[in-house]
Amino acid sequence: MPNQRLILDAGPFRVGVRSSDAAFLDTLSYFYRDSVCGDGPHVLDYDIEILRPRSLRRWVRAQVQFEIDGIRPFDPHPAENAFPMYEWGLNWCIATSAHRYMMLHAGTIAFGDLAMILPGTPGSGKSTLSAALSLRGARLLSDEFGLLRPDSMDLVAMPRGIPLKNASIDAIIEFDGAAQLGPTYPKTRKGKVRHLRPDRASLAQQCRPAVPHWLVFPKYRAGEQESLKPLDKAEAFRQLAFNCFNYKLLGAGAFRAVAQVVRQVDCYTFTFSNLDRAVAQLKALTHVPSGQQADRK
Amino acid sequence: MNLLNEFLHDPPIVRQWDVERWNRFLPLARNARLLGRCLYLFEQHELLDCVPGRIVDQLRGALAQTRYVQIQALREFRQVKRKLDREAIPLIALKGLAYVAASLPPAHWRGLSDIDLLVPEPDIGRTERLLMRFGWIPSGTFDSYDQHYYRDWMHEVPPLRHHVRGVEVDLHHNLAPPVSRIRIDADLLWGRSIEQSDPSGQPVRILGPADMLLHNAVHLFMNDELRGGLRDVVDFRDLFEHFLHQDPEFEQQLMVRARDLGCGRPLYYAVSSAQRLAGLHPSAGFLDQVERDAPPYPVARLMAWLIEQGLSPPRLGLRRSALADRLLFVRSHWVRMPPGMLLRHLLHKGFKSQKKPPVNTADLPG
Repeated sequence: MPNQRLILDAGPFRVGVRSSDAAFLDTLSYFYRDSVCGDGPHVLDYDIEILRPRSLRRWVRAQVQFEIDGIRPFDPHPAENAFPMYEWGLNWCIATSAHRYMMLHAGTIAFGDLAMILPGTPGSGKSTLSAALSLRGARLLSDEFGLLRPDSMDLVAMPRGIPLKNASIDAIIEFDGAAQLGPTYPKTRKGKVRHLRPDRASLAQQCRPAVPHWLVFPKYRAGEQESLKPLDKAEAFRQLAFNCFNYKLLGAGAFRAVAQVVRQVDCYTFTFSNLDRAVAQLKALTHVPSGQQADRK
Repeated sequence: MNLLNEFLHDPPIVRQWDVERWNRFLPLARNARLLGRCLYLFEQHELLDCVPGRIVDQLRGALAQTRYVQIQALREFRQVKRKLDREAIPLIALKGLAYVAASLPPAHWRGLSDIDLLVPEPDIGRTERLLMRFGWIPSGTFDSYDQHYYRDWMHEVPPLRHHVRGVEVDLHHNLAPPVSRIRIDADLLWGRSIEQSDPSGQPVRILGPADMLLHNAVHLFMNDELRGGLRDVVDFRDLFEHFLHQDPEFEQQLMVRARDLGCGRPLYYAVSSAQRLAGLHPSAGFLDQVERDAPPYPVARLMAWLIEQGLSPPRLGLRRSALADRLLFVRSHWVRMPPGMLLRHLLHKGFKSQKKPPVNTADLPG
């Protein structure tokens, strides 16, 4: 099959993807057919190729490689894992270059034009919680790569396939039997991975930014009752700064942006185990009129 | 010449660029680590209005990263210097570190991945032990062959890095390997070195202007992959223009110094490369003199081709032949060591596996 090229919008970034791998292209269009750019020349941020290296490995236990700017930054991956490799690769491109943004290791979810930031280290359940909230009608900005534009203090949307890992996959299926999931990747470097397709409405509104309004630090704890507690602002600052990929790199700009976010939002910690109850509780938070919420000073 | 070279020659050319050209430009500039340099050229020539917005974002993002690595490098330099000062070991900042520390023009945009330092040869062992005592560790694993390669044949010891901060520190005692065709008397370099203030007001010693350019030239001449090559060529052009602006006699001084240090040939290659690929315009008189150190015409033509091939990033739709890579590799080793030594070195390296790619996808978000 000859090389085909798709041009997609991943939030503010325009990405060209070339590949001759039919299975990969099918998966890519399953997830992102609603954000494919129309005809006409497009300036690209990232021009990526997913290719089969020219070696014996073309036929025996086939592999694929990720290429951008003439370099191949990663080891080849098994061909069947082309899609997760593409997703990680694009994240790497963004993380190493998009310093116009403050990059938060956080799920970001919008209710109208107000956003909830869910920062957390891997295992905290932020991806799963973001997935569940988006399945209940909230707008997905990002599942774990929150982009904040320091000059406007807006959160920018970048809805992507949400990589559910291991036990999260069944948890989401149990939560919503109609959830649209892509292929299962049983053996990746992060274990078993299956992506939730970003919903159409979120993709259609990916140019619409949102203003940070709630900051919730989730912590998944099996078997525990849900518990939402106000969090001290100084502690919230510390934890949000810790969850910012390019905090040190942006220096004083990042300090001011994190301080500004923390000043304008309500801060909580949230322990959860059951997704239904967790989603109900977080959605209830967004209905409480301002002023009756946690101390904003 | 590719699109990036055309731009470096004549920045206003971008007024005529279509989308397809911008899409070729960004990967080339990113690969060559020249995004920051390009941003400055756009600003200097008042061309920012012609640059697509998302490319401006990429350029500004890259510049933020550059500022950060510059701060890290200066901080590491001060840490090393503090330790060496205590033992009264003098040191000279080289290459990127020198440009940034002495606020020379490349400081506006130049990233750096390590810091390069020159210490007197008799002190280099002592310097290494001193740093190891205060928390610096070998940067990577070096087997006994690598140790022997560095210590007996090269002009540097195996790179170090501080166990917490992680910036690589390369300690040199000369600008070229002592076994190479270019043998520079390091005492002459020390004699012309100058002291300046770094951005925080601390004293920093750097090479004299001519020596700084000759170091850049020797580096280009010796480097096998020409990795970072085009960036070094652009450094050469920027520094050359800066020093010439400061002192109209600079070309003459550079020529004389090149002859004194035995670097006429590398200077020829550096000047001709900067002229062809980065838009340097030296005076005709200077060019005449530089060309006296050129190799015979066919060799000069072959080298021009090799350098241009070597400086073009692979796989970006540019012609770059495997033959050129091979020839450059052999040539860089040929000038670096005598034949017997070269044979042993290549045989040994032939048995070793290739380098791993730098990034592990398990660390990435997703």
